[in-house]
Amino acid sequence: MSILTKMLKKKQVQRKNDNFRQKLDHSIPGELLIHKDYQENISRIKGELGNSADLGIRELKIGPYQGALLFIDGLVDGKGINEFILETLMDKKVPIEEFDLFQFVLDQTVALGSVSTITNWNELFDKLLSGCSIILLNGCNKAISGETRGGETRSIAEPTQQLSIRGPKDAFTETLRTNTALIRRRIKSPNLWIESMKIGRVTQTDIAIMYVKGIADEEIVNEVKQRLNRIDIDAILDSGYVEQLIEEQTFTSFPTTYHTERPDVVSSQLLEGRIAIVADGSPFVLTVPAVFVQFFQAPDDYYSRFDLSTSVRMLRILAFFIALIGPSLYIAATTFHQEMIPTTLAIAIAAQRENVPFPAFVEALIMEVTFEILREAGLRLPRAVGQAVSIVGALVIGQAAVQASIVSPVMVIVVSITAIANFSTPVFAMAISARLLRFALMALAALVGFFGIMLGLIVMAIHLCSLRSFGVPYMSPVAPFSGENQQDVFIRYPIWALKYRPRHIARGNIVRTGENQKPAPPKHGNSHESDDTKGN
Amino acid sequence: MNSFIRIFMLLIIVIPLLGGCWNQRELTDLAFVMALGIDKGTGNEKYDVTFQVVVPANVASSQNGGSGGQGPPVVVYKSSGNNLTEASRRATKKIPRELYYSHTSIVVIGEDLAREGILGVLDALDRDPEFRTTTVVIIAKDRKAEDLISVITNLDKLPMNRFIKTLEATEAMLGENIKVTIDDLLQGITSSGKEPVISGFIMEGSTEKGTSPQNINTTKPPAMITADGLAVIRKGKLAGWLDYNNARGAVWLMNKMQGTDIDFNWNGIKDAVSTTPFLSNTKVAVSIKNGKPFANINIETAFKLSEINTDFDNEDPKKIEVLENRVSAQIKSEVESAIKQVQEYKADIFGFGENIHRNHPKIWGEIKHDWGNQFANMDYQINVKSYYRESGLRGKPFWSDLKK
Amino acid sequence: MEKAKISAKQLFVLVVLFEMGSAILVGFPLNLKQDAWVAVLLGMAMGVGLFFVYYRLFLYFPDLPLTSYLEKIIGKWPGRIMAYFYILYFAYLAARVLRDFGELLTSTIYTHTPLFFLMSLMIITNAYAIQKGFEVIARVGELFFVVVYLMAIGGFFLIIFSGLIHLENLKPVLESDWIQILKTTFKGTLTFPFGEMVVFTMLLPYLNQAKKAKLVCISGMILSGINFTIATIINITTLGIDLFMRSPYPLLSTISRIQLFNFIERLDVLFMIYLMIAGFIKVAIFYYAAVAGTASLFQFKDYRTISLPIGILILLTALMIASNYTEHIREGLDIVPIYLHWPLQIIVPCLLLVIAFFRNRRKQSKEAAS
Repeated sequence: MSILTKMLKKKQVQRKNDNFRQKLDHSIPGELLIHKDYQENISRIKGELGNSADLGIRELKIGPYQGALLFIDGLVDGKGINEFILETLMDKKVPIEEFDLFQFVLDQTVALGSVSTITNWNELFDKLLSGCSIILLNGCNKAISGETRGGETRSIAEPTQQLSIRGPKDAFTETLRTNTALIRRRIKSPNLWIESMKIGRVTQTDIAIMYVKGIADEEIVNEVKQRLNRIDIDAILDSGYVEQLIEEQTFTSFPTTYHTERPDVVSSQLLEGRIAIVADGSPFVLTVPAVFVQFFQAPDDYYSRFDLSTSVRMLRILAFFIALIGPSLYIAATTFHQEMIPTTLAIAIAAQRENVPFPAFVEALIMEVTFEILREAGLRLPRAVGQAVSIVGALVIGQAAVQASIVSPVMVIVVSITAIANFSTPVFAMAISARLLRFALMALAALVGFFGIMLGLIVMAIHLCSLRSFGVPYMSPVAPFSGENQQDVFIRYPIWALKYRPRHIARGNIVRTGENQKPAPPKHGNSHESDDTKGN
Repeated sequence: MNSFIRIFMLLIIVIPLLGGCWNQRELTDLAFVMALGIDKGTGNEKYDVTFQVVVPANVASSQNGGSGGQGPPVVVYKSSGNNLTEASRRATKKIPRELYYSHTSIVVIGEDLAREGILGVLDALDRDPEFRTTTVVIIAKDRKAEDLISVITNLDKLPMNRFIKTLEATEAMLGENIKVTIDDLLQGITSSGKEPVISGFIMEGSTEKGTSPQNINTTKPPAMITADGLAVIRKGKLAGWLDYNNARGAVWLMNKMQGTDIDFNWNGIKDAVSTTPFLSNTKVAVSIKNGKPFANINIETAFKLSEINTDFDNEDPKKIEVLENRVSAQIKSEVESAIKQVQEYKADIFGFGENIHRNHPKIWGEIKHDWGNQFANMDYQINVKSYYRESGLRGKPFWSDLKK
Repeated sequence: MEKAKISAKQLFVLVVLFEMGSAILVGFPLNLKQDAWVAVLLGMAMGVGLFFVYYRLFLYFPDLPLTSYLEKIIGKWPGRIMAYFYILYFAYLAARVLRDFGELLTSTIYTHTPLFFLMSLMIITNAYAIQKGFEVIARVGELFFVVVYLMAIGGFFLIIFSGLIHLENLKPVLESDWIQILKTTFKGTLTFPFGEMVVFTMLLPYLNQAKKAKLVCISGMILSGINFTIATIINITTLGIDLFMRSPYPLLSTISRIQLFNFIERLDVLFMIYLMIAGFIKVAIFYYAAVAGTASLFQFKDYRTISLPIGILILLTALMIASNYTEHIREGLDIVPIYLHWPLQIIVPCLLLVIAFFRNRRKQSKEAAS
């Protein structure tokens, strides 16, 4: 592994020296001040944007003074501009005596919540391109920007990836502000802090870091900021970019950051001391640090009663293992350890395999790969065709392949159980890692049977134990084991007994529930009766 | 450092190539030996060995997989050799697949061989990692093992299940046979104070008809496999058989009784009352009395009334007491006659010697060399206590009403 | 020395897994018949006594592994030579354990697979763990501890419910005489597995609370000793003495006897899982001790540099120490205890302790005088 990282590092150094990069950059020098002549400014802006068609320019006359309103069409809320800038600007009577035009416009005419003064070009383009309106005034070497962000965005919809039976039904959208608002709405505490930054030399994407002050570990917060600041890339098009740039280890199939599209999940994780990273343009919010067991906690777990959610969680872990080793168990048992299969079953499998020309490993590989292709195709296909493909797929896998003696019926069962088990992992990123490792384990099983599977699992365990997510051991609180953090691992304690936040993540303010939260019937058996007697 | 990692990676890449798949065998490359029959050799070799190999396609109910065979579920191959390995390796000349013993569930030994001595075949069964020592051993009474192995049966598609399930059923319901595994057999043979027993099987009817499909295509199979008797083994040789009540007595004494029926006469009618003991416990304490070993045997059992074919008031405590005594007496006489017969064989199948060894190790050191004779002459005392529990769904039998 | 810190819990888990390790598979004192368990308990008691020697040494040098404080106790060169022997000893023991597992696999399940192939797969896995560092090994230990215990408890109940236990097989108690039992204890159970705790003199400095070392290690030894005793008793009562004595791997024979409800049977795979985990941990600990020792003796900056060469060395040693299984076992029973275990587990540490004690007293009296 380290050869690869070294090679990558070398390349990075080379690239830094490359001048080519500079051309892609925002090439306007930041120090340059805005010119006094507004026409010059307009032509400069036009020039920089290459006369782009979506640049809207509205010449203004404020009394005797000239000016212009600039905005990017589509990014701004047109109605807002009309009502709160244009109307007020035009209606205003300009006083005749000497006065500061700029201050007048800024203070008295722009009826917007957020207005600011811009002095340099860099800032001007930033604001303009993120949906603000710019007012240029002749004779002023400053500009006014008004917050008019708007335009068409997707509205809040139901989650599409992480469904739940019970619990809130809203999901994040592509707009950063909406997303932070969804979280803020749930945690109405001044301690919920949001820090923002821009990443991406070209895209200038807004990134927000959210955490609950006093619960989150300051060190981890700083570490997150540091890693985000370190990012030097042209574009951030989704939080997935950020994820790949800040995670601790690239060469692992396990996700070391958690992503979700559910605001309720992010809120609960913030309250556990985690830190959320929201990227503009992505409906998936990252939370760090992430630990292994977290990927088996579904939102439903907390909304339904503890006995149910505990057993369902156990089921999920079992399903994960089935998804991981299902086919390799089949291969190992049928080609190495035939003594393990009960006699009648062994004979039945032997009978089914009588006409199958391939060894078990190849048979399993064919089926698994076919299934993966079907799944991938199903994901990409237009919805109307999807139905048809799944029917064809079911026929190919289930019926025809067996009748054509390419695979045995048992193999079909194994593959389908594996596939279904795979879908029961709540987070796709973890499910996909089981999918990948499954093939490695199948190869090992074909090589040396159970010995191979066990070796694979041991290597996997070593790997998992060596992973860290922002300094937190990935397998905690199982390894290193901590008894007090077991409240929400394999067994989900009743809500009143979830007394502490996970200590390996949260730092301050550790206690969650008050004393005596265990629900109990009132102490005097029948309270009505006692009331009655008192009344009498 | 880099070079080491390169070597490391090279190892990882090369090893699978070196690998091949030594232990890898597809299910279809294996001939599942379901039952193994061992007989005294007819030719020059010491043993004739028969292998009952399953034909998977004919067993599995064939919907999709398999070609939906019509033939018999098993095929029997025969081979011979001076030891089991030789015979098994020679058999591969006739069998197109590799013989696979992990699913072998029964070993049948022919009576001729059993009389001559079975020690020669046991090590192979014990040592082979494929072979399970939980495999059941039986003796083909008055027959060759080959005959029993070749019969195909109804009710159970796999003929070997026939033996196992019959044994289990009779062990639970009648108590004249017990399931003896290779482990038990070896334990009995190696222990200095104990000898093993093996259940016997006979075949009723003709071998020729038993091997043809005719045997399963009729409601009255011409050839039938039946559990029959317990073989007493002494120093690895068949010393003699225990039949019916003697076998049952021995099973009582070995504390292996799970259930049986005890009948006796009443009102002059033969076997008019039938009882079924369902719980029992046997305790044996062996000591030395008058220079001779002496066994104190205590049997306790609880029974139900299962049938009354005469006028009998089973609601009268006094009658019940009589009933209990009759059952006890019956058991006692069975056990007594079993001991007498086993003493004739000089084979301590009850583990009296082991009992002395465990409780009086010093005395055992003195007498163990002559244990066979000591056992044959030892005294014993049998106490049986039986307890009546219930009488099924009815109280008094209808016979009591008939009289009026 | 690697900058690793492990918690008391982790050390406890490692001690238990290490001690039970291969002993529960191959280390039964078979010659004592039904009294084998007495030797196990005796071995444990003496092993705990022996551990106090190691612990005292650790108290004198709480930050140093054995190979480093040897120099401080008996001088630079003698100490280095001695340390070199210890490194070889650990590597040799790793090789022996590896061979044990290889032999077990080839003679039971992988009958047609070359020993070298199985052992090299195992050592590659171990090398990977060593690369990741001692903390990771400790964490993996924690993870597997749960697995092993769940399996052990499950297996225990299965054996009981299958009605395999015949306690009368333990009788007559103490048939063999005490001299024989003591002999077996000294040659067998004391040195293997309990004396092998000597390897922890290399690992104790990693413990984050030095105070807990005594409690943790001793309770770990006692727990593993009790488990070992239970396993011995179960094997004897299930198999009977004759079979017990004839089985090179009694536990495997015991497990393969489990038959419940007509379908819970042939559970050899449980045995295999245990075998892999225990083998992995035990080899990893010896392997790590050898690597860490070498790194400190020859002053390598990064112990990872030498982990793979030592791994290959262990693999080749494992392959060459014996030409067949019988030879391997004979060496383990007759030669290794007397010529390796006794001197390196008992005699040298005791001498070291005596020397360290006197030196320390002299130092203290000097300090007091000044």
